[in-house]
Amino acid sequence: MADIKVEHLHKEFGLGDDKVVALEDVNLEISGHVFVSIVGPSGCGKSTLLNIMSQIETPTSGIVSITQDNREALRGYVFQAARLLPWRTVMDNLLFVQDDPGDAATQERCQRYLDMVQLGDKTEKFPGELSGGMQQRVGIARAFSVEPDVLFMDEPFSHLDAITARTLRAELHEMWKATGKTIVFVTHDVGEAVELSNRIVVFSKGGTLEDDITIDLPFPRDPADEKVAVNKAAVLKKFEELDLVAT
Amino acid sequence: MVTPVIEEQTSRTTEEELAKQARRKELISRWFWRIMGYVVFLGLWEFASGRVLEENLLPGPIRVFQTLGDLWADGTVLPAFGATLTRLFIGFGLSFLVGTIVGVISQNRWWDGFFKDATIISLTAPGLIWVLITAVIFGNRIYGPLIAIILTTFGLVTINVYEGVRSLPKDLIDMGKAFHVPNAGIQRNVVLPHLAPFLFTGLRFGFSIAWKVTVLTEIFASSSGIGFQMRIAQTLFKQDEVLTWILLFFFFALFLEKVVLQAFERRYFRWRQAVEAA
Repeated sequence: MADIKVEHLHKEFGLGDDKVVALEDVNLEISGHVFVSIVGPSGCGKSTLLNIMSQIETPTSGIVSITQDNREALRGYVFQAARLLPWRTVMDNLLFVQDDPGDAATQERCQRYLDMVQLGDKTEKFPGELSGGMQQRVGIARAFSVEPDVLFMDEPFSHLDAITARTLRAELHEMWKATGKTIVFVTHDVGEAVELSNRIVVFSKGGTLEDDITIDLPFPRDPADEKVAVNKAAVLKKFEELDLVAT
Repeated sequence: MVTPVIEEQTSRTTEEELAKQARRKELISRWFWRIMGYVVFLGLWEFASGRVLEENLLPGPIRVFQTLGDLWADGTVLPAFGATLTRLFIGFGLSFLVGTIVGVISQNRWWDGFFKDATIISLTAPGLIWVLITAVIFGNRIYGPLIAIILTTFGLVTINVYEGVRSLPKDLIDMGKAFHVPNAGIQRNVVLPHLAPFLFTGLRFGFSIAWKVTVLTEIFASSSGIGFQMRIAQTLFKQDEVLTWILLFFFFALFLEKVVLQAFERRYFRWRQAVEAA
């Protein structure tokens, strides 16, 4: 099981008068087969935290260690936009991120994950030939196909229509259960966070970690279910208390 | 229960068949008008020769094709083409290299300032100016055409490469980094395919200008090549030969455009055609 430790993490952008603090002394521990959502208003540093954890960005100070069985954990990433190479086919997009793209077992693995997101028959299509929802599915398959120990997801369904997003959420949840990964999921949608996660970490503007909430409900969770609605209302109330609701 | 499935398949086949027929019709119609263009042009040319203008001044297409056969038979055509193409490939190859290097280093604002006006001059000054200057300085030596080609075309390559590098897809590069793709893999799969259309535009337009400049330099200062042959023919008042060389020039340009560049485009931009068709 993967172990994520974030200690006294601090991140600033710009210099002098233009300096912006994105994350302020963040401490966080995530461990095991969990689905953790990071929620907060726009500009609260949640994407920055994800980028630092996935090594796209470096922190100004502090430590991030992500390990699995005392070794560096493998990381996968699903972005807000699918970020597929438009000039490569769906299969080649998955092979692009593999260590050994020529290996038959690797190709079989990629095909398996494309089958899981129901795109097994679209391997030779180019991303531009697919709908937005299908492109995001390819992005999800790509992230799973590297068989990461930890999967980072940055508002992956925010560009999609409500029905497609709901279908993909259900598929993602099935994949999470089937593969036993640790998932860190950034969203500004509290309902989505309650529907998907075991834990919700709340950030406020200025990049401070404000609260860490455990959601102890069985899966799958129906948004119309009363207990889900009660939990959602409780998290929203927390938002109000922290003055995080957009006005 | 089986009937609707069969019906559906049949209607899909008919739809595909109809689409195929429409495409074929479109292709036939396009080729018809293209061939008609040639027929009308050649007809008017043949008609004008000896009727509107004296045959010595405007030899008709039949005579020009005969002269082409004669020149081919006596072995004049290939060496002349060989000489011109050698200058062209070396000159434009160097220009492409210079243009690419300047385009890449101009991302730095100091180098951008350093090369900015030179690039604009290369883009705007008529090639003839460099042809005349280099002809005076270098005479018949190979450096003349090479320098004229570089000065006329490097700006075109530079602005394309500059724009390509400036618009590199940072999001895709970051994606590669997030998945720990090695730098060589990112260069080959992200940077180069992104730059390809920019390089291709520079190549296509740069080459067409380089081709004209090469022939011009041969007209003014050379003892071989197509331009030189045109000058000799013109001095000896052999209009049929002048027109023959122009015709060959046209055939070569058509070959480059329709065979070489389009094959290149099909090979490297297949994804665009697929997306457009979708």
